[in-house]
Amino acid sequence: MIPRVAFLALAIWLSLPGQTKTWAPPKTPWGDPDLQGMWPGNMGVPLQRPESLGTRTTLTDAEFAQKEAQARKQAQADNESTAASDSKTTIGPPSYWVERGTPTRQTSLIIDPPNGRLPPLTAEEQKLRKEARGGKGFPGEWRGQADSFDDLNIYYRCITRGVLGSIIPVVYNNGNEILQAPGLVVMRNEMIHETRVIPLDGRPHLSPSIRQYMGDSRGHWEGSTLVIETTNFTDQDAIGSNGAGYPGDPGHHSVDLKLTERLTRVDADSLNYQATIDDPKTWTKPWTILIPLHRNDRYQLLEYACHEGNIAMGDILSGARADERKEAK
Amino acid sequence: MRNLVHTTIAAGFAVALLWLTAAPTPAQTAAYRPPRAADGHADLSGIYQALNTANWDLEDHSPQPGTMWQTGAIGSEPAGESVVEGGTIPYKPAALEKKKANFASRRTNDPEAKCYMPGIPRANYMPYPFQIVQSPRGIMFVYEFASANRLVNMGKPEEAGSDTWMGTNNGHWEGNTLVVDVTGLNGLAWFDRAGDFGGKQLHVVERYSRPDPYHLNYEATIEDPTVFTRPWKISMPLYRKVEKNAQLLEFKCVEFVEELLYGQYKKQPGK
Repeated sequence: MIPRVAFLALAIWLSLPGQTKTWAPPKTPWGDPDLQGMWPGNMGVPLQRPESLGTRTTLTDAEFAQKEAQARKQAQADNESTAASDSKTTIGPPSYWVERGTPTRQTSLIIDPPNGRLPPLTAEEQKLRKEARGGKGFPGEWRGQADSFDDLNIYYRCITRGVLGSIIPVVYNNGNEILQAPGLVVMRNEMIHETRVIPLDGRPHLSPSIRQYMGDSRGHWEGSTLVIETTNFTDQDAIGSNGAGYPGDPGHHSVDLKLTERLTRVDADSLNYQATIDDPKTWTKPWTILIPLHRNDRYQLLEYACHEGNIAMGDILSGARADERKEAK
Repeated sequence: MRNLVHTTIAAGFAVALLWLTAAPTPAQTAAYRPPRAADGHADLSGIYQALNTANWDLEDHSPQPGTMWQTGAIGSEPAGESVVEGGTIPYKPAALEKKKANFASRRTNDPEAKCYMPGIPRANYMPYPFQIVQSPRGIMFVYEFASANRLVNMGKPEEAGSDTWMGTNNGHWEGNTLVVDVTGLNGLAWFDRAGDFGGKQLHVVERYSRPDPYHLNYEATIEDPTVFTRPWKISMPLYRKVEKNAQLLEFKCVEFVEELLYGQYKKQPGK
């Protein structure tokens, strides 16, 4: 499994311009490869590849030109809405707040399986998703009227987006910062203000009796690559482009999820973030995503007080109750 | 033999007496010099936790019941001595009234009860550990409670942008002491479960030093001319977690407070 994934990542990496095989990352004062910096995610690559593209990992010149044209059109629309008043404000933020990203040629975040698609769910997981909560499905998949806060997914509840949901680029809060100190690496995500302090000292994982949304991470170096293995997950969140389990997202996973992240600096300003999702209870095969990250020292990671500012939850629930009262009349 | 034993004991006493009465040797009195971090400054990194009742009440307080009789002694408040220099917080009269109103409504209004980020200084003396990571990019404070965190900028001081719960943190060294200047606090956090609070102009200057391998000395000078008549100071030791493989665990409390915050909007059975 790993060699093929490594090969695919290498193939994509080599296909990018300006790479040399001789580049080696600088070292920290204590001798570890230095991955520190602000590495914000770049919105715009779908998690799953359109089936029509088959196993093709990059867009053709024509496809890319079309994507760039779309981006220019969107930028123009955003500029116009900046100039206009906010009178059209609906439930979302004004469009010019949204991070659109810079178009790239990558056809999907999933690089393995080679078709860029999620592997099939196990029969057990299909049954679980169908029968969850008396047939309503997991909160991520269910789109009905909310009876309670736990009918809504962790996105609405501001609990966390999980490890992957915190790093998969979306339209806001894409800041990722890496800090290092002797014996540990800190992965900091802007999304919901997550911080993982990851020991590199070879200590064992926590007892399986301790479960965490962000899991329990242990890191080690393989050459200049930081490898982080994370276990001890809960099964209460959903993997997805926003952790919300929207249609087409990976959704629910089991407590047996083992996540292996591989972080490699490929040049002074680029870092490849690769993650392999191995959860045999949920997916019939492991799958791997690649998120190329680019240094941006001007990016300011701001405090996202999602729960503290969660007006939506009360409004959604009280709105649903108001609807019921109206229907009852 | 017996004499020899007596002589030995007597000699031992004499040595002990000499040691106790002699002028202290340099090894006994020299200030502890903390180990150096990679940046050459004192190494303050580690996992720490307060061992006091400051999160209940910064000021002197007698034991008292908690807000929920159902939780019995578990939710009750232990007595504690003030961590405030001079004993009491110098509130302006109107602010003191607000503190009393906060106390009266603490079961539902204390931001801790709502799982809100605790702000500074409270984050440092909650009954949850926190970790200091001393990195070339700055000094990171990671708190177990509500996954709160803050990065102390050790470079050119940055002006506060929009107000936040955990503030804009600019640090510098004064010898072996880390000084953190905290501005841009949103004034919504409380300092404790007794309703002590700061306002929109809250400014906290913290000092962290390491007097020995197992503690940090923590001091915070707190000012806000809209709330207090003068700046005031708290101080306390913080204790290093020395357990093998100590690590922060996860305390994402949002889901523990949803019934408290949103329960009133749930669909009621039979309705």
